[in-house]
Amino acid sequence: MIDIAGILAENIIYIVMITLGGMLISWSVHFVPVGGAPAAMAQATGIGTGTVQLAAGAGLTGLVTAGAVMNVSDSVALVVASGAVGAMIMIAVTMIIGTWVYVYGVGVPPASAKVDYDPITKDRQDLYVSQGTEGHGLPTVSYVSGVIGGALGGIGGAIIYYSLMSTSTTLAHSDLISLASIFAVGIFFVNAVIPSYNIGGTIEGFHDPKFKKWPKAVLASFVATLMCAFVGVMAIGGL
Amino acid sequence: MSAGGAGGEATGGIPQNNLIAVGAAGGLIAAYAGHFLTQGIGPAFAFIGALGAICAIVWGAAAVRRVASYGLGTGVPSIGMMALGMGVVASLFGLAVGGIAGPIVAFIAAAIIGLVIGVLANKVLGMGIPIMEQSMTEIAGAGALTIIGLSVAMTGTFLFDAVLETVVATGYIAVIFIAGGMAILHPFNANLGPDEQQDRTLTTAVEKGAIAMIIAGIVATVATGASAIPSIVIGIVIWYVAFRKYVELVNRDAYKVIGTGLLPTEEELE
Repeated sequence: MIDIAGILAENIIYIVMITLGGMLISWSVHFVPVGGAPAAMAQATGIGTGTVQLAAGAGLTGLVTAGAVMNVSDSVALVVASGAVGAMIMIAVTMIIGTWVYVYGVGVPPASAKVDYDPITKDRQDLYVSQGTEGHGLPTVSYVSGVIGGALGGIGGAIIYYSLMSTSTTLAHSDLISLASIFAVGIFFVNAVIPSYNIGGTIEGFHDPKFKKWPKAVLASFVATLMCAFVGVMAIGGL
Repeated sequence: MSAGGAGGEATGGIPQNNLIAVGAAGGLIAAYAGHFLTQGIGPAFAFIGALGAICAIVWGAAAVRRVASYGLGTGVPSIGMMALGMGVVASLFGLAVGGIAGPIVAFIAAAIIGLVIGVLANKVLGMGIPIMEQSMTEIAGAGALTIIGLSVAMTGTFLFDAVLETVVATGYIAVIFIAGGMAILHPFNANLGPDEQQDRTLTTAVEKGAIAMIIAGIVATVATGASAIPSIVIGIVIWYVAFRKYVELVNRDAYKVIGTGLLPTEEELE
């Protein structure tokens, strides 16, 4: 039987950090402009796919970059920063290509029906929204919001990975890497789905009225990630 | 994005309690049978683990079907990814700390995580789906048993050292993650709509489970503890039977199936 109290005492800081990372991921999803199938048909603002897929893409890219940096450095700041940058690049590239498709392929101007004036550029939006749609494309505010979301998600994912990798264990290094990554992916998916249930699948960014619901998702993620963190640290620490 | 369901609980066909029994008991028994027969007789019996995974996949798909009919507001795939997210955390924990009791520890851990997330979804996020708690528990348990079953098929055992070496460290766990997740989320996602029928959805689950079994068999070609050929051959047979059955059910449920011919060529249009 494993020494639960001993492992807990030794790794309590990592459980706290993983939980924090999970809450950050949960918060980050609220920033990413997700439009689902309506957006794919240019009937709503955002990227035309689901929250989970986007969060997974950004999170896994962040995980890969964080993992690559962890091979050469032990600095938590460097690992977290590289995770954030990786996720930001992934989400930014997805959004710029999506915008090109909307503008040059579908032939619609990026515009949001949720606000009359873009909060960042102050450009008027309502004139350009096609009739019967919720807007289309990715206006500047959604783009900026998405990049912020990518950064937060990448930071969260990198913190989780770093904490799992730092948990004291007798595992061989290569086994630890694989175990820590798959736990991080599992925790990432749980924390990507919880906020997407909170926002009901679509959100434009931080100017969307739904954004105000974030404390509920972060609270739910706190409880869920705490459990996953406990389970993950116990499994890795007990080996 | 609405799930496009009827906005209520999906009913009909086999009662959910029977499916729970098939999935939970079948998954656990097959994991143990696969392990002990492989250790006792020979690696050829590793395929039994994948049969357990198919039981768990059918159960998981039935639970997804029931809860997603309410309309999750975010599409069906999210819940399948969630199932495997919870399942992979719980199953690796269970196998790591449980030893010979690993699958049971993993199953219980998954059920607890699923129950808590179900309660959070209803009480904190306010999703208001009456069967959310039960369904999340079921889906997490099914996800964990799917991972364990496929791991047994790949390695011939659920003991953690072998699983870590053959499945996790090599990265095949990612294959299990996606193949198992797809098998749980895809059946309802593919069949949903006003004419969705339980038997058709669950036949799709068997068919997807068989694909996961074939993949597990292919992975087993590099493992010493498991034999690849039985998993691949039995998987192909199950896939063929389930796919034939699925086509039959599609023809049954369709208003009319007619051959439209190929698209006209440019000359014919002139």
